[in-house]
Amino acid sequence: MKHEVKEAGASVVVAFEGDIDLQTSPAAREALLEAVGMGKPVVVDLAAVSYIDSSGVASLVEALQTAKKGGQDLTLAAVSEGAMRVLKLARLDAVFTIHDRVDDAV
Amino acid sequence: MSNAHALPVSDTAAEDARRFQANLELLAEMSRDFAVSRDLDAALLKAVDHITCSVDAEGGALFLLDDAQENLECVACVGATEITGLVIAADKGIVGRVVQNDLGEIVRDVSKDPNFFGGVDEKTGYTTKSILCAPLTVKDERIGAIELINKRGGDGLFDPDDLHFLAALASSAALAILNARQAEALVEQERIKRELELAREIQSSLLPQAGSDGAAIAGVNQPAREVSGDFFDHFPLDDGRVCFCLGDVSGKGMNAALLMAKTASLYRCLGKAVLSPGRLLALVNREICETAARGMFVTMVGGIFDPRTGVVKLANAGHEPPLLLTPEGEFQAFEADGPPLGIIADPPTKDGYPETEIKLNGGSLWIFTDGVTEGYIDGEGTELGDAGVKRILMETGGKPLMERLETVVGVIKPGEYGMRDDVTLLGVVDDVAARPAAEVQAASAAAGSETVMFLRLPARADRLKVIRQAVRSALEYLVCEDEMTEEVILAVDEACQNVVRHAYGGRDDGEIAVELRRDGDDFLVDIQDFAAPVDLEAVKSRDLDDIRPGGLGVHLIREIMDDVQFVTPPAGVGNLLQLRKRLKTKAGAS
Repeated sequence: MKHEVKEAGASVVVAFEGDIDLQTSPAAREALLEAVGMGKPVVVDLAAVSYIDSSGVASLVEALQTAKKGGQDLTLAAVSEGAMRVLKLARLDAVFTIHDRVDDAV
Repeated sequence: MSNAHALPVSDTAAEDARRFQANLELLAEMSRDFAVSRDLDAALLKAVDHITCSVDAEGGALFLLDDAQENLECVACVGATEITGLVIAADKGIVGRVVQNDLGEIVRDVSKDPNFFGGVDEKTGYTTKSILCAPLTVKDERIGAIELINKRGGDGLFDPDDLHFLAALASSAALAILNARQAEALVEQERIKRELELAREIQSSLLPQAGSDGAAIAGVNQPAREVSGDFFDHFPLDDGRVCFCLGDVSGKGMNAALLMAKTASLYRCLGKAVLSPGRLLALVNREICETAARGMFVTMVGGIFDPRTGVVKLANAGHEPPLLLTPEGEFQAFEADGPPLGIIADPPTKDGYPETEIKLNGGSLWIFTDGVTEGYIDGEGTELGDAGVKRILMETGGKPLMERLETVVGVIKPGEYGMRDDVTLLGVVDDVAARPAAEVQAASAAAGSETVMFLRLPARADRLKVIRQAVRSALEYLVCEDEMTEEVILAVDEACQNVVRHAYGGRDDGEIAVELRRDGDDFLVDIQDFAAPVDLEAVKSRDLDDIRPGGLGVHLIREIMDDVQFVTPPAGVGNLLQLRKRLKTKAGAS
């Protein structure tokens, strides 16, 4: 898994690529919390995520909760088919605000 | 005093009376000494002292024959010369002659006696003039003799009265010695008996405890003596099967019991690792050949019973043929196909003793020692025989195993001299209805299923990707539909990461085994770890209102798979999670 953090407009975009699993989710979690720590709305770009497991989803949930506590927004964008499947199975697709494209989110 | 008015008696009569009285007192005293003394030698010395004084001799010695009756040893000596410990041939000297002839003697002048042994006098400077010697005999049993030397006073010679008196004392002393020896032997026997009882206790602790009424395997052992050369055993194996054996060591008594203990221990110890009765017997055989006493051997049947399938694997080393009783009431005997253990070190085949596979099919298997078939069932020497055993097994069909075993053993009566032989019997019952349900399901599933892939790898986070790729490949091979493929990969990954995260409690040297199988229209995944069993309560599905990370994985697994259950691992170690889902194949695939 790789990730990239960039600023787009008023938001911070965190883009992940590859598999987010037990092995890589600690790095994903750290990146997400760091982005939330910047105090701006966070957009998580999941377009290039080939696989995400419960630990990856848990990292997303934790980042969302942290953002909400600080009154920030955290949205998901361009969620890949695989990642969406897992979110739906976890019934968390309604918990997150999900945009089709990153541009729509920022 | 009334004696003053007694009729006058002759000197001789008075002397006789005095001696008679003295004799009685001496006897009483000697008996007391022997009775209270634990040291026979000390009691003997006291007796010799009494006798020497009573006869008024200068010295006295008591000689005892050794066990082989070849030598006489002086065990007590008083007066003149100290010769305690002196050993002479049983036919030498005057004392030897007295013992051989079993007749007391007065030798008035030893210098004229050709048998007189002057060695002692030469050494001590003492001069032996006259000897009085009487044998110690009880009935026909010669024990030794008492010899007195030199009468004090007068002419220094013994007279016939002295001999008469000594003979009477000697026979009393002989009886006392014999009694003391028997008492000693009795104490020794008691000690041996206690040791045998202890040996029996230890030995019976080597046999398994009697099982419950529903037990599939049980045995009984009734030793003919304190200890037994027969044995049986049964113990569970890690894979759910049960290993058992029954054996008969040649001979009886302590050496047979010791070889029994050794053989039974070897079998039990090796039996947990060597899961083949044929190879197991070969190993035990080699060990016994290397170390057992020559001429001893063991006939033995070893086997493994699978209660889930009712199949017995059997190897027979020269033992009575085990009997199969089918549910239809027919008997089939399985003859031995190898020699007894302890005779030839080389096994009958390179794989050990030949094995026979017997499907019990709801029937039962019976293994016994010849003490059963040759046991007397009445006072007239009628043996139970093969036919008798079969008849009882038929009659007790349907009864609990222990009851059937006890019925067989119960008809064998101890004869006039106790049991003829050790009686040992072992039964294996295949109760189809009692086969463990879950196990049968698992077994049949395993039997009908086809393994697509099997992986065993370190339970580490960095290997989860390998597992996902393997599952993908397996599902591709099965032409599984795409959506299901992705979901099942997730479910297996979640199940495996639970093992990685929780099973080994932070250790990174644990392993995980993943088996992917097709069972008809179902796709099956077995995920096994080798850690301590988990608390199933703790692995419950996530409460949907609670989105804490922990339970999410389990929720996903349950959401995706049709069936998720923990089953008992076949090897009895670790945890086995079984996932099952109806296979959806791609449109157009067969």
